[in-house]
Formats: sequence, C-alpha cells, structure tokens
Amino acid sequence: MKDIIYMKSASAVCAQDIFRKDTIPDTLATTGNNVLNLLEPDYRQYFSIMQLRRMSKLTKAGLVTAIEALRQSGIEKPEAIITGTGKGSLTDTEKFLKSIDEFEEGTLNPSPFIQSTYNSLNGLIGLHHDVDCYNTTYVHRGFSLEHAILDAILQIREHQISNALVGSFEEITTQHFTIKHKLGYWRKEKVAPESLFNTDASGSIAGEGTFFFTLSAAPENSLAEIRGLRLLFEPDHEAVAAAMKSLLTENQLTIEDVDVVVSGRNGDNRFDHYYDALESVSLNHTHITTFKNISGEFDTASGFALWMAASILKNQEIHPQALYRKGTTSTFRHLLIYNHFYGEQHALYLLKK
Amino acid sequence: MGIVSALGIGIEANRSALLAKRSGIGQARWLQSRLTERLPLGEVPFSNDALWSAAGLQQHQPAGRQVLLALHAMKAALGGIKAADIDPQMGFINATSVGGMSDVENIYSNLIDPAKPILNNELGDSLDCSQGTESLARIFGLKSYITTISTACSSSANAIMYAARLISNGLIDSAVCGGTDTLARFTLNGFNSLKNVDAQPCRPFDENRNGLNLGEGAAYLVLESEQQLKRSGRQPLALLSGFCNYNEAFHPTAPSPEGLGALAAMQGAIKKAGLHPDDISYVNAHGTATLNNDIAEAMALQKLFGENMPAFSSTKCYTGHTLAAAGAIEAVFSVLNLQEDEIYPVLNFGQPIAAAPVVPVTEVHTGKGLKHILSNSFGFGGNNASLLFSKV
Repeated sequence: MKDIIYMKSASAVCAQDIFRKDTIPDTLATTGNNVLNLLEPDYRQYFSIMQLRRMSKLTKAGLVTAIEALRQSGIEKPEAIITGTGKGSLTDTEKFLKSIDEFEEGTLNPSPFIQSTYNSLNGLIGLHHDVDCYNTTYVHRGFSLEHAILDAILQIREHQISNALVGSFEEITTQHFTIKHKLGYWRKEKVAPESLFNTDASGSIAGEGTFFFTLSAAPENSLAEIRGLRLLFEPDHEAVAAAMKSLLTENQLTIEDVDVVVSGRNGDNRFDHYYDALESVSLNHTHITTFKNISGEFDTASGFALWMAASILKNQEIHPQALYRKGTTSTFRHLLIYNHFYGEQHALYLLKK
Repeated sequence: MGIVSALGIGIEANRSALLAKRSGIGQARWLQSRLTERLPLGEVPFSNDALWSAAGLQQHQPAGRQVLLALHAMKAALGGIKAADIDPQMGFINATSVGGMSDVENIYSNLIDPAKPILNNELGDSLDCSQGTESLARIFGLKSYITTISTACSSSANAIMYAARLISNGLIDSAVCGGTDTLARFTLNGFNSLKNVDAQPCRPFDENRNGLNLGEGAAYLVLESEQQLKRSGRQPLALLSGFCNYNEAFHPTAPSPEGLGALAAMQGAIKKAGLHPDDISYVNAHGTATLNNDIAEAMALQKLFGENMPAFSSTKCYTGHTLAAAGAIEAVFSVLNLQEDEIYPVLNFGQPIAAAPVVPVTEVHTGKGLKHILSNSFGFGGNNASLLFSKV
C-alpha cells in the first residue's frame, strides 16, 4: 500500500466569511449580478502600509491564506511550495496591457508585469517565510490545483520532502467577467446563487478565491487523509465511473463506503450530466453536497471543495446550503470529491477522516 | 525530440546554424511592436499561415502562434514513434510563460467590449496557458496526464522534471514534455521596463554585456521509462540522469549576487544522478547576458567547479531568450551535444566578467568525449532549475 498523505491545515479566502475559520457561516454572502467576489481579510495585522501598497488584490489574499495555512499546521518552513492558478493575477495582466497601449510602449512601470507572472506569488511566499525549496506553478484551469497536489504527493512518497505547502489562487475582474460572459461561461440571466440549481440554463455564476493546504507524511493533528486522486481529460461517463471505481478499489473500498460526495455541479445544463451520472450511482445513505452555489465557479474552485471536505470531516457537519441530496448516514468517514471545469478537466479525490 | 527556434524548424536547421556560428537574432517581421525597430529579436522566420501550411495537417487551423510553433516541434518529437506505437497513456506536460498572449493582445480591446462579439472562441479563450496545451493534446490524440507549468524562464525545465517524476512514480510510462512561447508586446515591454533588454546582439558572460534579446520557439522531448524502452526496443537518445528545482528566496526578479540558488540547483541535479562535479563535461548555461544573471551564474559555476571548470557556453545568443521554451530548447541542444559530441560556442564574447572571470567556449569543439551535460534555466521569483543529461 502506498504511503498515506495527511492534510494538516486548510486555509481560505473567498466570497464567504471563512478566513481563519473552519466552518461556513450560517448566513451566506449572495449576489445579484452573477459574481461572488472574495471577501478581503483585514490585512493590517500581516503587512505594513508600504507592503500593502505594493501588492495587488490576489497577491495579498494569496499570501495571507498561505501564511495562515502554515501557521495552523505548525510548519514554519515548508519543504516545497507548489501552486495552481488558471489566470494568475488578472488585475496586473490587465494593468500592464493597458499601460502598453496608453504609453505607446514607452517607459512603463514593471510592477504589474512582475506580479502578472504566474509564479510570482510562489516567490513571495518563499521570500515571506525565508525558505529556499522546490517551488513550481501549474497553470491549467481545472487541473491547476490538482497537479500541485499530485506533485506534492509524489515527492512525499519519494521521500524527497516530508511536507509541502500547496494552494491555488484565482480572481475575477470586470474585464475578464465580460470576456467569459461572451464565451458563454456565465448565465445570461441574473440568478441568485441559492437558485442556481433550480433554473435550467447554460452557464454558471462566477467566483474567486485562494486556498492553501499543508500536506505531510506525518499523521499528527491532521484534518484528513488524502487517499488518492484521479485526473481525466475530456472523458465520457464510463471513464469517470471507472476512475471512481479504481480509486475506491485501490483503497479496498466500495461505493457503499462513501459517506459524502462533494459535487462540482455548477448549474450549467450543458455539463451537469456528468454529475447526474455519478450521483445516480451513489447509494441512499450517501450525502450529496455542492459548493459552487456557495463559492461560484472558477478554474481552481476545487480549492473550495477541498477546504469544505476538510471542514465536513473535521466537524462532522454539512452546511444546509451545501446539502443537495440528504443521505441517511450520520458519520462521515470517506468523502469523494468530483469536480470538472466545463467538461474539460475532471478530477476525483478520495479523502478519509 | 523536436525544435523550432529563430534558427529554423527542425534539428538540422538548428544544428547547422549553431555549427556555423550563425545567430537567428535580428529585426523581427511578424511581431507588431514599436520596439522591433531598435531591439533585435529571435523571431521564428515564418508567418502563422506559413507555419500552418508547412505542418501539413488535415484539420482546421488551430488558433494562436504558440500552437503553430509547438505543433512542428511536437510532430517531430512524436515522429520518431510510429502512430500505432504511441502509448495511449502518454502524458503531455507543457510549459508557457504567457500562453496565447501574442494573439490575444491584438484583439484585447474587442474582447473586453461587451458590445462586440468574439469572432474566434478558441482565441478569445487563450488569455490563459492551458488553451494551447489542449489544442495540441487534441491534435495529437493525447488523453492521459495533461498539464501546463508556468514559472517564467524555468518553465519547460520544470515541465521535463515533472514528466520524469510522473514516469518514475509509475503513473505513466512515457510523456511528451517541453514548452512553447511566442514573442509578444506584453513580454517585450515587460523585460524592457525592467531595463534588461540589449539593443545589440547579446553577449553572454562578457564584462560589457548589456541585457538579453528575447526570442520565441518551442521544443519537445519524449521521455520513456526503462521498461517502456525494453518493450519497444527503441534506442534512447540520452538519459535524463538528474534534475533539481531550487527556489531561492532573495528577490522577486533578481538572483542573489553569489548565485546560491543556481549553485544549489546544479548540486541537486548532480547529486540526484549520483555523480560528482568533476564528471560534468559541459554546462549549457542559462546565460541570458543580463547583468544580474550572468554574474550570479558565473559565481555559482566557480563555487561548484573551482579549478576544474568544465567547458560552458550559452546558446541564447543564437535563439534569443525564449522564456518558457528555453529549458526545452536547451535540453534538445544538450542531447545534440551528447549525440554528436560537439559543443556550440557563445557569440560576441570579448572579455570575462571582472568580478567572476570565467571564460565560455567561443569556438565549436568536437570530439571531446562528452558524457554528462548540465543545462540551466533560471527564472523570476528565484526559480532555479537544472537538468542533467548523460550519454547512453
């Protein structure tokens, strides 16, 4: 049997008030314009005013989320820093694009260019904690966080490292909302997050957020075990079902052992059939939960799923608005996450309490 | 393996230019930028349409120059394997620094105007690094582990490393890995704003170096496990014997002046291969010719090798700095070094850096019996990656 990987901490900044918390608040933030923007923490206890001025929105949010993940885990110096992001700091990309036009390729401020680099947050986390270590950034939509986690798992199994800080960061800007709106990513009509699954239409609602986790070979004080991960590119229903089966079989489990499914359902009627298929084989005792009605949809929304999974396993509680189909079991030991990004990148995670 | 650079399409075009000491850096024709008048660039000497028709593929033309550059290199890399022999589980680990930016920046004002329709969805969605990877995956029928890495100038070295890790852990038996990057106003202005672009052809490791020349290109290598090789009976071109990624927490864009990150990355790769610094026959240095990089790298080389400095050079004076593609392009050159037993020299070298006087190879060397070659790629954020290729 392969080594077990333990999740020691989970930290998040997103639309909901969950920073430095381990449960979702009773009253959820909502939206009337199809975008759930992240709730900025109070940064003053982390950074000086000068430091704050130099950092853009996502850089600040990502850095405090990473700081908190490390603090909670008691790991001062991680042995690897591995992140995933679909788009990186869009604010900086847009700012630099604008300045190129505005100043006609003249003398430009390099800061937005530097911060638009996808691995700039990784570098800053390293600088902030003064750690020299393995450090890389995956930039592949719904596979970004997944490969960051897989990379960490493989290095822990190889005994190259004994722990890693892994995480994701994503923002939605007005310009990028418009681009994706025109490409059909979002609902054409305004829809409240709480009604996302009661309306039959294409597209979803946008979200953003940053999520950091520490993974370790050591079981002490862990939130959950990561028992396996499967990644599939543009699969059919059969391939997803086979991947789920092999993930369970590898852990000497069957579908009966799954207490909770965290489903990436996003209310897009072009792609939710994948979730319908997987949920239809889940047994009556299994609770089916959703999260994109809470976090919104984005490239690395699976970060929220992992955070919520850790919260469910730790507190043995499911938030009422996360509950999609109530099951009969009252103890949550094995949890399956299934998420895909608009039918392209599919990921299955198996977690154990 | 396959390669596209300012030196041309394919191994032979690249090798013959390197042997003739003929640089691909000059006035760009296709990049739409005011800076091309005064900044020489390593542009691939073909338009998008010419690249597509030369590819000879029977399907709709994929969007974006990054894909067009990459597909020539990937086709060549996979060309050594018969279609029937392509492992359906072959992974694809790609790298890019700005993805489809060179095309997106030309249509960006339309993209963000709510009143204007998007004419090409594939292009509209390529302000992103994964769009190109997935276009390529679909063209070549790759379905297994697919991802994209972006760590600036070390991206494709990290992609090769990750592909090796997936194989050595038994998740896959083979992978095509490398990177692609195009010249873009975005990156050219970015480096120009950092004041490290030379208006003359770059001079790696020269005391009077004055910055880098940007380039574009793509390169891919097929990695296979030992078992897979035994099954297929194919002959390996080289052994990827070691690799190391070591991020130095020093500064957002500059290395520590003593090159401690570069040193640790090289030491890590040598250690992983179970070798000693004395075993290294040649170093394909990062050698961008920026003030900061070359002194840090020269100091790291001095610390690592002391009196026994192996031959070293940088090929960025031929291709320009191709950013996310550089690690893979130089990996291809490293394999060529081993296969042909030859070293490609630096151009424009006058006198060594006073503070760290090391002298790169300035003429073509052949018949040195090259056995182990280090290839360095260092990037923003302190990201240092070294790959070690050995003769088989």
